[in-house]
Amino acid sequence: MAKNTAEFTVADQTAWCPGCGNFGIINALSQALEGLGLKKNQVLYVSGIGQAGKTPHYIHGNVLNTLHGRTLPTATGAKLANGDLHVIAVGGDGDGYAEGGNHFLHALRKNINITYLVHDNQVFGLTKGQASPRSDQGMVTGTTPQGVSLEAFNPLATAITLNGGFVARSYAGDRDHLARTIQAAIQHEGFALIDILQPCVTFNKINTYQFYRSRIYDLDQEEGYDRRNREAAWARSFEWGGRIPIGIFYQVDRPTLADTYGDLLKTPLVKQEYDKSVVAQLVDRFRIG
Amino acid sequence: MQTFNIKIGGEAGQGLVSIGNILLRAITQEGWHLFAHQDYESRIRGGHNFFQIRLANKPVASWENEIDVLVALDETTIILGQGELRSSGVVIYDPGVLGEKAKELGNQPNYLGLPFGQIAEELGQPKIVANAAAAGAIWALLSDDLITLHQTLDVMFGSKGKKVVEGNQKVATAGFDKVREVMGSRSKPAKPERQGERLLLKGNDALPLGALSAGLKFMSAYPMTPATGVTEFIAEYGREVSAVMEQAEDEISAINMAIGASYTGVRAMTATSGGGFALMTEALSLAGSAEIPIVVINAMRPGPSTGLPTRTEQGDLSFAVAMSFGDFPRAVFAPGDPEEAFYLMGEAFNVAEEYQMPVVVLSDQHLADSYTTVPPFDLGRVKIKRGKVVSGAEAGPDYLRYAYTKDGISPRLYPGFGDGVVVSAGDEHDEKGHLIEDGETRQKMMEKRMTKQGLVEKRAMEPVLCGSEEPDATLIGFGSTKGAIAEAVRALNEGGCKVQGVHLPQVFPLPESLDAILQRPGRKFIVEGNYSGQLEALLASRFAVKPTGSIRRYDGRPINAQYILDRLRGGVCDG
Repeated sequence: MAKNTAEFTVADQTAWCPGCGNFGIINALSQALEGLGLKKNQVLYVSGIGQAGKTPHYIHGNVLNTLHGRTLPTATGAKLANGDLHVIAVGGDGDGYAEGGNHFLHALRKNINITYLVHDNQVFGLTKGQASPRSDQGMVTGTTPQGVSLEAFNPLATAITLNGGFVARSYAGDRDHLARTIQAAIQHEGFALIDILQPCVTFNKINTYQFYRSRIYDLDQEEGYDRRNREAAWARSFEWGGRIPIGIFYQVDRPTLADTYGDLLKTPLVKQEYDKSVVAQLVDRFRIG
Repeated sequence: MQTFNIKIGGEAGQGLVSIGNILLRAITQEGWHLFAHQDYESRIRGGHNFFQIRLANKPVASWENEIDVLVALDETTIILGQGELRSSGVVIYDPGVLGEKAKELGNQPNYLGLPFGQIAEELGQPKIVANAAAAGAIWALLSDDLITLHQTLDVMFGSKGKKVVEGNQKVATAGFDKVREVMGSRSKPAKPERQGERLLLKGNDALPLGALSAGLKFMSAYPMTPATGVTEFIAEYGREVSAVMEQAEDEISAINMAIGASYTGVRAMTATSGGGFALMTEALSLAGSAEIPIVVINAMRPGPSTGLPTRTEQGDLSFAVAMSFGDFPRAVFAPGDPEEAFYLMGEAFNVAEEYQMPVVVLSDQHLADSYTTVPPFDLGRVKIKRGKVVSGAEAGPDYLRYAYTKDGISPRLYPGFGDGVVVSAGDEHDEKGHLIEDGETRQKMMEKRMTKQGLVEKRAMEPVLCGSEEPDATLIGFGSTKGAIAEAVRALNEGGCKVQGVHLPQVFPLPESLDAILQRPGRKFIVEGNYSGQLEALLASRFAVKPTGSIRRYDGRPINAQYILDRLRGGVCDG
């Protein structure tokens, strides 16, 4: 790691609360990128809006800061146009699973070769603590004074159901695990989801560091767990309560979105020169007489 | 000028578009100019649709009310169309479709019953080849021989094999012979003196062809009538010129994908209609703030809401100009015909990239689905100007995406093309692209962006004028009314008036030169396809204008010259 220490430096100043889970995530991200030996100009972070969406501004790399919920389509367009970039979409659970829910489903289907980091703090942080699709039932928030009545959205089960290429969960409080998982996600050819359990020290008094520390166990370390087994992965994705699994739940190789274009994207579109003679041939096809 | 109008009507799924397409090609090949428009319902089978072709010995830019040949594949065509028939007009119908209402009409001398399907079947051909019988029957009124029609069938069905071509030719011949047998050899419409190669295109061909010619590399879209033709065109032909069309899960995704692609340095666009455009507005604001070029084609149809999904209207003008929330620079174009649409796409991409801003191209169902013959495009006229783009070496390691400059335009670096990183943001940002909160930077960034609006205004496309250069009266319109206005102006001038037509291919920002046109003495009429007079309001927001009258249409049908003349009722000049 030493040879690239300056490449993905993390900023000293951020707009996050002291103790925020985002610090663990950004440090793990930096560690993962350094470990892969990447250069900052090869990496593109596409961010949504929310406290998670600010992450790319505090670490070196190309950044496309987009709209709330729209990270995945924007990242998809960028990756299709320039496959040489390592595209990492970054957003929160409100961003990805509420506002961007439809995009989430279709990014999984399309299997675009990007990494998607969801900072899952189970609450809307930046708007000061409203319920998110990931909030546990019963959680009292500004918009749910009687407590959240709905079942929490299960991103991992959804992703496995849609045959997502790489489906993982990690934890902001375990930097090495998260860094390792991010590296595996970047190296995976296809859509890679990491739902990152991220304590929100200000607004989520339920899912705290303590809460997770006592419950989390690592699937990657479990003997006999086969991440290629979809049914087993699906069953694990519902485990939540006394024990909460982290690690790579499911991994499958299938054609990426770029692969479906045959040779067209072998050279990135942005590097393909405009050829007037080919255009002229196309125009000629409408010629009559 | 001699014109000749063919209207083919029937239910959806009966093949009238196939008959129309065969005739369009053959008519063009034979040397005529043409204008063809389509009217269809929002359904897959049944209902009543028509395909209307006007051919002439001179270029034609719009449609006429009167019909010379009415081809009826259903009864409704006869009931609705008989009133449009010229006294010399002919009705060719399939006798099998006549119900009680039209039975008596069939006895008239200019009515010719031809069982198209039966003709095909008797010649051992599948029923679908009935389209060729209808085409052959119509051809008998246009030409004394079948050479061109047979050639056309060869070109159109050649990929399906010799047997299919010959089957179609045989059936077409039978239809042709039957009409000549009954009607004899009538006089044929006049042909142009000079005939050369032409292109046959509808708006939904010209817009995407123009985009590809301008270097489009990426399109993403969600299907929506009447814009779907643009999307399908890029999906079909894009790969030949290394362009991608990626279908999105919704319009929000479509435009954001295109913005993502554009950020990396390729020309990108999307296409939709009003409802989809509404979903895209949030991302237009992102493109405005992050200064990412993007072109959006909005093919208008009548709203509000789902409205009349397959009809035409110009009711999104105010919406397109307002575009989204917040202040940001933008441009809106409105081509009037396929030829203008082709070249204008080049300008749309140039403006989007040179000024790093969103650009909307307003089309509508009438432009989208109407065919014309146009001179071959001159690719030399398509100048690709990508604006201020720097290489990695020029940008250096400390590249600032939003560097302050005199003209407000910061040089673009494509990400990955240099050591410097490209930080783009919709959140308010500093020169580097990182997020800020302070008022001073915010104000400077807003002023930087809005400086570009003034530059775009300075290069706004000039109005396209026709008719009198010293007019007593002026007709002003935008978009697909161009041809109708031009033909109305010609008719008025031929009648002794001095009238000028003013077509606006760019509606925002409006060109300064329009002021002199609006301030000069004389009557002014504003022609537009919407209820509230959105063009009138737009002109009034920028110039002092007091129109003499307004001609508007909002029944979902296209404006033509006759529509304008009927509403002017001689009030345009005193001569």
